Amino acid sequence: MKQFIWLFFICICTLPNVLSKEDVLSEKIQQLTDWSLKKPIIRLNSERFKHYVKTAPRNYSMIIMLTALSPSRSCGICKQAQDEFQIVAQSYRYSSAFTNKLFFAMVDFDDGQDVFQYLKLNSAPVFIHFPPKMKPKKNDFMDISRSGFSAEAQAKWIHDRADVHIHVFRPPNYSGFLLVVLLVTMIGGLLYIKRNSLEFLYNPVVWGMFIILAILICISGQIWNSIRGSPFLHRNPQTGQIGLFSGSSGYQFIAETYVVFALYILFHINEFFFRKIKYINFLFYLP
Amino acid sequence: MTTVNDNTSEYITNSSSSSAGLKSLITVIILICVCISGFISRLFSIIRFESVIHEFDPWFNYRSTVYMTDNGFYNFLNWFDDLAWYPLGRIVGGTVFPGLMVTSGTIHWFFHMINIPIHIREICVFLAPVFSGLTALATYLLTKELWSKRAGLFAAAFIAIAPGYSSRSVAGSYDNEAIAIFALIFTYYLWIRSIKTGSIFWSSCTALSYFYMVSAWGGYVFIINLIPVHVGFLLLLGRYSLRLYVSYSIFYILGLILSMQIPFVGFQPVRTSEHMIAAGIFILLQAYTFFDYLYNKLRYVRNIETIFFNLSIIISIIVFAIVVLLTYTGYIAPWSGRFYSLWDTSYAAKHIPIIISVSEHQPTTWTSFFFDLHLLICLYPVGAWFCVKDLNDERVFILLYAVFASYFAGVMIRLMLTLTPCVCILAAIALSKTLDYYADAESSEMVSNYDDSVSICDEVENDENNQYLDNNAQNIDETDDNDDDQNFLTSNIKIIVVTCIAMMLLLFIVHCTWITATAYSSPSIVLVSYNSDGTRAIVDDYREAYYWLRQNTPEKARIMSWWDYGYQIAGMSNRTVLVDNNTWNNSHIALVGKAMASNETEAYKIMTMLDVDYILVIFGGVIGFSGDDINKFLWMVRIAEGEHPKDIKENNYFNDNKEYRVDKSGSPILFNCLMYKLCYYRFGELYTDSAQPSGFDRTRSVEIGHKNFDLEHVEEAYTSANWIVRIYRVKKLSNRFQAKDALEKLTSSLSEESFEKNDGKGVILNKPHVKKGTKKSMRRT
Repeated sequence: MKQFIWLFFICICTLPNVLSKEDVLSEKIQQLTDWSLKKPIIRLNSERFKHYVKTAPRNYSMIIMLTALSPSRSCGICKQAQDEFQIVAQSYRYSSAFTNKLFFAMVDFDDGQDVFQYLKLNSAPVFIHFPPKMKPKKNDFMDISRSGFSAEAQAKWIHDRADVHIHVFRPPNYSGFLLVVLLVTMIGGLLYIKRNSLEFLYNPVVWGMFIILAILICISGQIWNSIRGSPFLHRNPQTGQIGLFSGSSGYQFIAETYVVFALYILFHINEFFFRKIKYINFLFYLP
Repeated sequence: MTTVNDNTSEYITNSSSSSAGLKSLITVIILICVCISGFISRLFSIIRFESVIHEFDPWFNYRSTVYMTDNGFYNFLNWFDDLAWYPLGRIVGGTVFPGLMVTSGTIHWFFHMINIPIHIREICVFLAPVFSGLTALATYLLTKELWSKRAGLFAAAFIAIAPGYSSRSVAGSYDNEAIAIFALIFTYYLWIRSIKTGSIFWSSCTALSYFYMVSAWGGYVFIINLIPVHVGFLLLLGRYSLRLYVSYSIFYILGLILSMQIPFVGFQPVRTSEHMIAAGIFILLQAYTFFDYLYNKLRYVRNIETIFFNLSIIISIIVFAIVVLLTYTGYIAPWSGRFYSLWDTSYAAKHIPIIISVSEHQPTTWTSFFFDLHLLICLYPVGAWFCVKDLNDERVFILLYAVFASYFAGVMIRLMLTLTPCVCILAAIALSKTLDYYADAESSEMVSNYDDSVSICDEVENDENNQYLDNNAQNIDETDDNDDDQNFLTSNIKIIVVTCIAMMLLLFIVHCTWITATAYSSPSIVLVSYNSDGTRAIVDDYREAYYWLRQNTPEKARIMSWWDYGYQIAGMSNRTVLVDNNTWNNSHIALVGKAMASNETEAYKIMTMLDVDYILVIFGGVIGFSGDDINKFLWMVRIAEGEHPKDIKENNYFNDNKEYRVDKSGSPILFNCLMYKLCYYRFGELYTDSAQPSGFDRTRSVEIGHKNFDLEHVEEAYTSANWIVRIYRVKKLSNRFQAKDALEKLTSSLSEESFEKNDGKGVILNKPHVKKGTKKSMRRT
């Protein structure tokens, strides 16, 4: 009988404790969900970070971007990273996968320097996944130097870490479309204005120029540049010497292709306008 | 240097007569010389090595050709190949372009009919060089139609030796491209011919030649898109004629029906987006012709022109909308991945790692262009310019060909092959037009004999032009031009210029011979290495190992290797493989990649699931061969990660500095994966370099980080002389692990208990020990 009373007493003592813990948790989730519904990315400062991320009762994951957005920090890629992060968060917010198990948040350096100190970070932007009930491990830091921080890469990483599949939905980029429309209307307008003298359309020289240009662009390796995105020039870090041509045959610099392009054009001009001094093109010959 | 002599012989012809018969004789002789030089320049690999089939895909083609000659054509069409893609197999008849096999099978049949017992292998090896001669002839014909006979001779000479084409047609590279380029050029020639004449005969010939192309190579899509685009542009330029209508309608209908006879193509020409341009242009052309007809009948109606103009625009929009609608509803398949990656260049990189893992699908640098085409690439835009200046129906075609082929060659280095003929033709046009100014008849007696031959060709061409009425006007223009220029040009300048051009052509020939000999003539199943004193050593590990497999393994043994070697194992060892170069099943390849990238226990599970008996890996660390499996390994990981992202992660195979290394700094997961262990098993004991410690990898120039390990589930079966090929046997499932334990228990129990208590009685293994307790009540008492 004595034991029973003891048990009852203990129960009475712990009940409010448990209750309050659950209360805190549900209150936190409620608050975070509210914020998320308002804005896909929750802005955290030091206190909030401590309360919602660091302290114990937490059964949800957090994806947190630590960044420095204020202009005084002059962090160029932070803005791009922020845009991509925004896309991921937005896609998540309006997708069917949206639950209260995963929240997106960000900490600006100027709002929460303590956070940076606490996580021992000295660079930005950093993406961290806080798994529920645990501290982030090594893999929970996204490796942006390797995979980049594009929205797709982030979604893949989140899928890996938090097992939430986010289908990235980019707001369609209208700028290219607008440009095309503008160009078409300009050309159409030009044709309409000059509708009485359309002979220039039948001028083979103009079309010939276009064709030659297209061919030259292709054979001087510009397509390679646009696919691979090589640097414009190579500067040797030790000597400061500028290398125009790349040493290996499987690589090229942008400047190098322009040189080749120009050489082809020179050859071409040489071929037509100075037919009389034809042997100049011998100089061009590269053994 | 035989090719050099042969090619210069085109220019060194000595004759002064100008009778028509002699000219055609010279033309024929030059063409024969061109064919022979094209043939001879492709024989380097046979002279250096031997008459073998090269590389990877040719081995499959060879194997199926042998099957076809042994079992007949119909059995070949029904052939189910159980050596490939274990356990799935492959229906070869329905998944292959049979043109190549049929071609060499026909030649084989013909030779045997006239009692020349030639082996099918010789035919396969020499097919590509023979067809390069035919390609040169087809190029001559096409260029003759486009420009002139003389330009045709130049073009034939160029295409015969251009490295861009000989890269795919040296002796032994028995692949679809070997015959497809001939079919491509010949189809274009017949097409030009048919729109010039508007005759049903020529357009039917075009369709037949197109049929041959469809049966030979997947690149036929290039024809079925380029010809309709040509027709569309002619309509746009207002060059519509009844000739065009006749030739395109007949070509399209016949070509459509014929192309659907190939089992591999099947209903694709009516069901996929790649073929929809042709269908759309066909409908548009019918509508245009109909309105044209009405217009001629109803000429008195006012504003009829604008009505027709609007109607044709509306019809083209409707056709386009129907195609788009059908694509969305699924009746027409959208662009397939490989074609789509040509337009959206970043598509493949994101979605299909197996496409970009192949080196010939990379974009092309300008150096590759120059390397493969040399002087021609400089003359190429010039030729295009001349064509623009003198536009007619067929030159529109070559210009479109030039623009599209340049783009495709820029996106994918493999398509350099389709660009090469076009470059040869346009460069030949540029060169022959240039020589018009500098090497005409008047100056011929003063200059060297190079000039002499050219001037003869000039006369040939002039005579020929007079026969063509439509070319007359142009001819007069040219002579006018010549007269103007002759006032400025002294004979000295002419001599200098012609000599320079001749020198450049000679250098071009030297370059082509050198490239073909050094870069494109290695069979890649037989390697060559140079000793310090410059002597050559043949490294024949592949064939040695494949022959070992053939002789020493059970007939039904299943070999696991990376997909690159699938065709070779099936062809040379006659054993079953899991994956091969026909990469149609990405998930199966990913499973093999996963096995290679997992640790031994995990890999063993996959291997027993797939019934693997032997594993074959290629390892170049001993002799410094860079194309080995360790260097390809990251692609295996990536492809496996694409299908099994939970189990395989690319990042795990990099060390802390995000580098892929096999030395001490490498990642432990890499050190424990199957591929690493199979490649470096017992390698730690080997001294490859006297100045280095043991286990020094000469390909990657590092000492390996993980030595002296044992293999648990596999055992070494064979390693070739230079360690390039290593074959391992997969052990059968071992006895249950308990047994080892049990034996110990048995002996211990025997020594301790049994002799004392149970004399002579047997012991039950793992016999439950019963603890004997006592009752409480008994204790109390």
